[in-house]
Amino acid sequence: MDIGITIAAILTLAIYSFLYKDNPFYKTAEHILLGVSVGYFVVITITNTLIPKLFIPIFIEGKLIYIIPGVLGLMMFLRFHRRSAQFSRIPLSIIIGVGAGAAIPAYMQAQLLAQIKATMLPLTNLSNIIIIAAVLTVLVFFYFSREHKGVMGFGAKAGIYFLMLFFGSTFGYTVMARVSLLIGRMQFLLHNWLGLIN
Amino acid sequence: MDAVGGKRINIRHIIFILMALAVALPLIFKLGLPLRVTDEVRDVYGFIDSLPENSTVLISFDHDTSTLPEMVPLAEAILRHCFRNNIKVIGLALLAEGAAVGDDNLRRIAGEYHKEYGRDYLFLGFRPQFTVAILSMGEDIAREFPRDYRGVDIHNYPIMNNIKNYKDISAVISIADGDMPLYWINYAQARYGVKVIPEVTAVMATTMYPFLQSGQLVGLVAGLKGAAEYEKLLGKPGLASKGMDAQSTAHILIVLLIIVGNVVYFINRRKMRI
Repeated sequence: MDIGITIAAILTLAIYSFLYKDNPFYKTAEHILLGVSVGYFVVITITNTLIPKLFIPIFIEGKLIYIIPGVLGLMMFLRFHRRSAQFSRIPLSIIIGVGAGAAIPAYMQAQLLAQIKATMLPLTNLSNIIIIAAVLTVLVFFYFSREHKGVMGFGAKAGIYFLMLFFGSTFGYTVMARVSLLIGRMQFLLHNWLGLIN
Repeated sequence: MDAVGGKRINIRHIIFILMALAVALPLIFKLGLPLRVTDEVRDVYGFIDSLPENSTVLISFDHDTSTLPEMVPLAEAILRHCFRNNIKVIGLALLAEGAAVGDDNLRRIAGEYHKEYGRDYLFLGFRPQFTVAILSMGEDIAREFPRDYRGVDIHNYPIMNNIKNYKDISAVISIADGDMPLYWINYAQARYGVKVIPEVTAVMATTMYPFLQSGQLVGLVAGLKGAAEYEKLLGKPGLASKGMDAQSTAHILIVLLIIVGNVVYFINRRKMRI
């Protein structure tokens, strides 16, 4: 039997032992997971990002302009030095500035305008009527500048029901996803480890 | 009140055991429950089927390892479809753990169809700061990924001969356990017009539906059920199809538990009133 599969199976059972109660096997498996994840992230960041995107351009291809982002990256570590911590704000401000600059028009176009356009539907079938009713009533529910009474109250109440339907369907999908994860582990234990199923 | 057989075992533990049985037994003894293919999965299948041979798709493995039971069947189904139709695949990962999984998926499924690395498929590896990565590939993929996962200059591979940016890509397929497809919509679809196909965990399905309805997505394949539907269309049952009986019995058990829980609750409430 593959030693890797046996180790994975034992760790799976150790994690599931938490369902009975917290215990040292669960804790050990949890710590292994954390350690391996962090180690993997550090290695892949060095081999897949720092080497091809920073070290090779500077030291092999002689592209010295790459020193600037390299220095900015190193400046992030100044957070750990109390007297120099303020300089770590420089690369952070660049990240936030560039990020916001890229995100705002993209969100406006992809999330706001495209979604508003998709809501402007002809009232020719039941689906379109439900979509428009849901959008309007949920917007009414989140309008807080006027008391929810009369027509506003009716609209807000309908909005709550639409929200509840959304939460219910989302929760249903979440349950489905969690069951899928259990199926995956069970397939691994019964097929890969024990060989009970094809 | 819920103690059964002493202090150590309670109702919670019995529910865990029932759930384990509800999942394990259908995996051992097949039930063969029916499965209906939804329109959003059929749309994705139809789109991939309509692509001419030697088209290129970008598949991004945007997930961690914690969701592998959903992600691997989704990836296997779409990769089998692509390779069966002689569509070239360029893989990448915008989350670190997706890199190792993506590389493994590509090698395995490409091997089934005798595809050659560098000519029929390529794996670029992982890149952090996904916003920058998605935007940068819109200008020049080689600038963002000068080397592949193995550290080789990507210009050395024939698959990259006619590929510069999204204009040369038929679609971006994001296999994701979070909202990464939304970033592909924001920065690749809205800005560069590339078609986006999300293959997501079931948890993320409701997040994707508004974008499906607005026409910003080609289709949607969500969760193990979505993967099973895709396998059915492919005519090649895989991991997902084999898990569908267990999914159904687990759902039936949950529905029964909800009904029993409510009945017990109302009986107790009536007793308290009396």
